[in-house]
Amino acid sequence: MSDTIEVDDALQAIELYAERGWTDGLPIVPPTEGLVAQFVNALGVSPDTVLGVEPTKGAVITAEKAAINAVMAGCKPEYMRVLAAAIDAVTTPVFGLHGISVSTMGAAVLMIVNGPVASELGMNSGVSVFGPGNRANASIGRAMRLIIINVLGTRAGDLDKATVGHPGKYTWCIAENEDLSPWEPVHVTRGEPADGSAVTVAAGLGPFQVGQHHDDSPERILDAFIDPLFAMGPLMPEALIVLCPEHLEHFRDAGWEKARVGQYLYENALRSVEDWAFAGRPVPGRDSSDTEPVSALASPESMITIVAGGGGGAWSQIIPTWTHGARSGAVTKPVSA
Amino acid sequence: MSTESKIRVLDPTGQPTIVQQGMAKRPDTLDGKVVGLLANQKLNAEPLLEAIYDVLAERFELGGRVAINKGDASRPAAPEVLDSIASDVDVVITANGD
Repeated sequence: MSDTIEVDDALQAIELYAERGWTDGLPIVPPTEGLVAQFVNALGVSPDTVLGVEPTKGAVITAEKAAINAVMAGCKPEYMRVLAAAIDAVTTPVFGLHGISVSTMGAAVLMIVNGPVASELGMNSGVSVFGPGNRANASIGRAMRLIIINVLGTRAGDLDKATVGHPGKYTWCIAENEDLSPWEPVHVTRGEPADGSAVTVAAGLGPFQVGQHHDDSPERILDAFIDPLFAMGPLMPEALIVLCPEHLEHFRDAGWEKARVGQYLYENALRSVEDWAFAGRPVPGRDSSDTEPVSALASPESMITIVAGGGGGAWSQIIPTWTHGARSGAVTKPVSA
Repeated sequence: MSTESKIRVLDPTGQPTIVQQGMAKRPDTLDGKVVGLLANQKLNAEPLLEAIYDVLAERFELGGRVAINKGDASRPAAPEVLDSIASDVDVVITANGD
């Protein structure tokens, strides 16, 4: 069981936790014994149940530690099942949680929630999807960051050596906009059942927002993403594209399948070996005498396509991932019903 | 303020797992020893290790070198990499050359 601390009141707890480096810099909700017990009970497990073990350092994330940090983040008890699935996902070895959390490259844990749980918790998948205002989105993402800070001991300036990092390191959790999408949701593409809920985690770097208001063919829309991809490649094993509803409508009208998005970008985000080298990102094993153009993506399947955002505006995003996917892969885990 | 009005809050931090590990026995000399140069995959690790090897080679009659790259800076070396180091070299120098 975790140590307890006696304080006069909530404000004293808030100050104490900040002084001890137990926060993300913002005030926390004091994790009282009663609240923590309520959050553990929401999972229906004992407090010492292990939800995940970080593979490199062996840090153990118990239900109680997850609950303490979830209370601090401002979660409700019913959010715990999403957080538990996300902990399962980030502690899967292929995700490389230690590396992504301490690296100068400054990745954050992006969480994408699918299935009935998203609406049950009132999550936002629409207007300002990556912005503030939704309690579940904001606090689930924040709980993951507090777990990384407190349970893994990965604090900025200590183990976390991000050169600049990005705002997603405070919180970064959304629901996919399944209602507006003609395509299968991302958790189904990644092997989870269509009638279940799931969370997908990716080690996201700072996103690029891409606008295309002047053309409505899928090809011209995707062409607008090619320059940002040139800032990331070559041969990325993994990246995410977040298509907004207005862009998506044109893909629907043109009868495009989801897989064609990655296929098109793989085939068209091409530049010469010389140009990649000039941009400071040489293609491994290739020299400038090689005239075969090289894609920003390693394969058509390298692009994880999701749908999110509000109805107005033609603004989509590219989200590169840590090491561009070479040493961290996205992971999808089911959320218990 | 009375004790009854106080609140009890819980420590959010995890306790580190501490494993005691002994140091490998140090050789009396590097003369005749095969030196493993274990790079962590970062860009400058190998040049740094080569430079260290050259300095040592001026001071000792080294028995040769084996260059190893663990291929992933953010994860421990794989067991098979450690096994090959144990069988192929007498001493190891490692470097994190970012």
